[in-house]
Amino acid sequence: MRALSGRLGARAPTPRLLLLLQCLLATARPSSADDSAPDSTFTSPPVREEMLERYSNFSLESHNISLTEHSSMPVEKNITLERPSNVKLTCQFTTSGDLNAVNVTWKKEDELLENNYLVNATGSTLYTQYRFTIINSKQMGSYSCFFQEEKEQKGTFNFKVPELHGKNKPLISYVGDSTVLTCKCQNCVPLNWTWYRSNGSLQVPVGVQMNKYVINDTYANETKLKIKQLLEEDGGSYWCRALFQLGESEGHIELVVLSYLVPLKPFFAIVAEVVLLVAIILLCEKYTQKNKKHSDEGREFEQIEQLKSDDSNGIENNVPRLRKNESAGQ
Amino acid sequence: MAKVHRARSTSPPDGGWGWMIVAGCFLVTICTRAVTRCISIFFVEFQTYFTQDYAQTAWIHSIVDCVTMLCAPLGSVVSNHLSCQVGIMLGGLLASTGLILGSFATSLKHLYLTLGVLTGLGFALCYSPAIAMVGKYFNRRKALAYGIAMSGSGIGTFILAPVVQLLIEQFSWRGALLILGGFVLNLCVCGALMRPITLEEDHTTPEQNHVCRTQKEGLKRVSLYSSLTKEWAQACLCCCLQQEYRFLLMSDFVVLAISILFMAYGCSPLFVYLVPYALSVGVSHQQAAFLMSILGVIDIIGNITFGWLTNRRCLKNYQYVCYLFAVGMDGLCYLCLPMLQSLPLLVPFSCTFGYFDGAYVTLIPVVTAEIVGTTSLSSALGVVYFLHAVPYLVSPPIAGWLVDTTGSYTAAFLLCGFSMIFSSVLLGFARLVKRMRKTQLQFIAKESDPKLQLWTNGAVAYSVTRELDQKHGESVATAVPGYSPT
Repeated sequence: MRALSGRLGARAPTPRLLLLLQCLLATARPSSADDSAPDSTFTSPPVREEMLERYSNFSLESHNISLTEHSSMPVEKNITLERPSNVKLTCQFTTSGDLNAVNVTWKKEDELLENNYLVNATGSTLYTQYRFTIINSKQMGSYSCFFQEEKEQKGTFNFKVPELHGKNKPLISYVGDSTVLTCKCQNCVPLNWTWYRSNGSLQVPVGVQMNKYVINDTYANETKLKIKQLLEEDGGSYWCRALFQLGESEGHIELVVLSYLVPLKPFFAIVAEVVLLVAIILLCEKYTQKNKKHSDEGREFEQIEQLKSDDSNGIENNVPRLRKNESAGQ
Repeated sequence: MAKVHRARSTSPPDGGWGWMIVAGCFLVTICTRAVTRCISIFFVEFQTYFTQDYAQTAWIHSIVDCVTMLCAPLGSVVSNHLSCQVGIMLGGLLASTGLILGSFATSLKHLYLTLGVLTGLGFALCYSPAIAMVGKYFNRRKALAYGIAMSGSGIGTFILAPVVQLLIEQFSWRGALLILGGFVLNLCVCGALMRPITLEEDHTTPEQNHVCRTQKEGLKRVSLYSSLTKEWAQACLCCCLQQEYRFLLMSDFVVLAISILFMAYGCSPLFVYLVPYALSVGVSHQQAAFLMSILGVIDIIGNITFGWLTNRRCLKNYQYVCYLFAVGMDGLCYLCLPMLQSLPLLVPFSCTFGYFDGAYVTLIPVVTAEIVGTTSLSSALGVVYFLHAVPYLVSPPIAGWLVDTTGSYTAAFLLCGFSMIFSSVLLGFARLVKRMRKTQLQFIAKESDPKLQLWTNGAVAYSVTRELDQKHGESVATAVPGYSPT
């Protein structure tokens, strides 16, 4: 049943009034959104005032999707929600055709939502608004607005709990060492953190054995698992689970435990290369020095020979010749 | 006939084995400066593993930098007394041991000692002797050789940073430190390349050598009669140190030292504060990182091209002025920085600053060699790099304090800019004063005894044949112009 349709185009009624209206309408017929839950929030009137008070403390989340008749792909919007809040979803549809001929529906996953939405038209744009409250994980999921003309145009709002970003690359550590696995949640404060270890397909909770595991939760938005005295079997997948009021989120960290021999191999390769190069360079230096010495000795020998020949040539030529040889030798 | 073993003294080869020395120095710069910069990549790992905050882990980098610069004179002393080869190989072994021991660390304090002090000491033993060695092997092409050798820090950081990141991902920080220790062992290879060379200049200052030797022999005789060998050793040491460090009393060197203090104060904060400043002005994280990369790459280009440029015939005699110009330009860039408030303005700033930063780094050893000559170059470079240590340590925290108190980066950048401009103005002023004094000397020389003039004429004839950047040749040649060599 569509409520308040037509070209009223006026301001939407105040939240409290609207909620009261929603409650009244909901009490008139069973709610389709929470059909599985026995503790449906709209059942008993005496709880209404309590609910209203509680709801007014929640923040309001407003989200918008724009569609045109030419939109080829369905438009999706991902919304991250951590705490219970009031939600207002608006879809607007622009078309050149007749607005009255457009059929507007809202669905949660595949179930049709029968009430709680407004339809409004201004000029050539059709607005539809759906308001509800998310209190627990059952209200999370995908909410879609549909505009049926010749083609069906769809806009989807996906509600999810904040995701945990585990590391894409494995954490490396060594046998006998200790390591710290960190799980962080940006801009969110979970209620609780738990650690699991996957052994094949089985998930085993990581207990707090005093000597082995230490869980440190100093800051609310991160958790640290310190594992001491690592063994090779300690390697594998570790999961950190964050519990929110609206659901759970998981992060994955891979731990690899290596033995000390692994980095030693490249290290020894480099050391061998260094020793080899140093030996080659020092040997080259000794070789060139020996060659220089030999050539020096050769030159000295020649000078001695020349002096001897000068001696035999005559005394007059001796003095200037000697001087010339000496200066040449230096 | 007795064989006379003569030490072959030569003039600087300017090529040949000199290029192997340049390659060795290039590798030394990679293994010391680039590895120091890459240590900061380990900080995130140390923070998670030791659960300490950023300030505690950042101390490691400061300790390495500080110890490397503070112990630079020790490095030159060791290489002067043992030999350059032994000094650098020893440094390589020490640095490598520090890194290897660091891979077994169980607390941050262990890392301070091993990775900080031991590795820093090892680097100090390698850095200044290697640079001094390049100066010994090159004369005409000194600036180009230094340009290529000093570009190692930029190129090394560029290559080593992703490699270190990969090592950490594959082997975690312990394995990465171990392998890095192996890599740093290549300093021993560089050490082996540093063949000693005796230069002609080593024989031109015989007076002090003679005095020292006679002193030694006198004391030796005394020690024969009394067992005062300790006093003899002390006196000998004093004499040797006096001889090695006599350049400290030169007015030129004192002026250079003061200007280097101011220059080092000015240049270090930019690398720390460019990214935060860019972020505060509205630039995104990736664009700020891009600015830093530009700075690094243009630094390398500045190193090599400025070295090549100042070796051209037109600029050869003006290397000192080029150094002044580079430092002054960097100071001017700093002064303009507070006015640059967007990315399209910051990119040219990065390019200019990076270029001149690379430029003056290349010319520091050249200018030092010009002032002290090649014999004392090793010790002088030790002192010069020692003078870099305290400003490097002190300047970023002072700039940070200024930023916190004034709420903007303007004061900090202006202070650094003025510091660098003062440094270059001081050098320019000193040069001017020296030139004025020389013209006075010329005036006096013209009016003196003509016989003396003839005698000085002979000295000019002898020294003009040498390269003009020998200290004696230059001063004598300019003092008595107008005489042609016979």
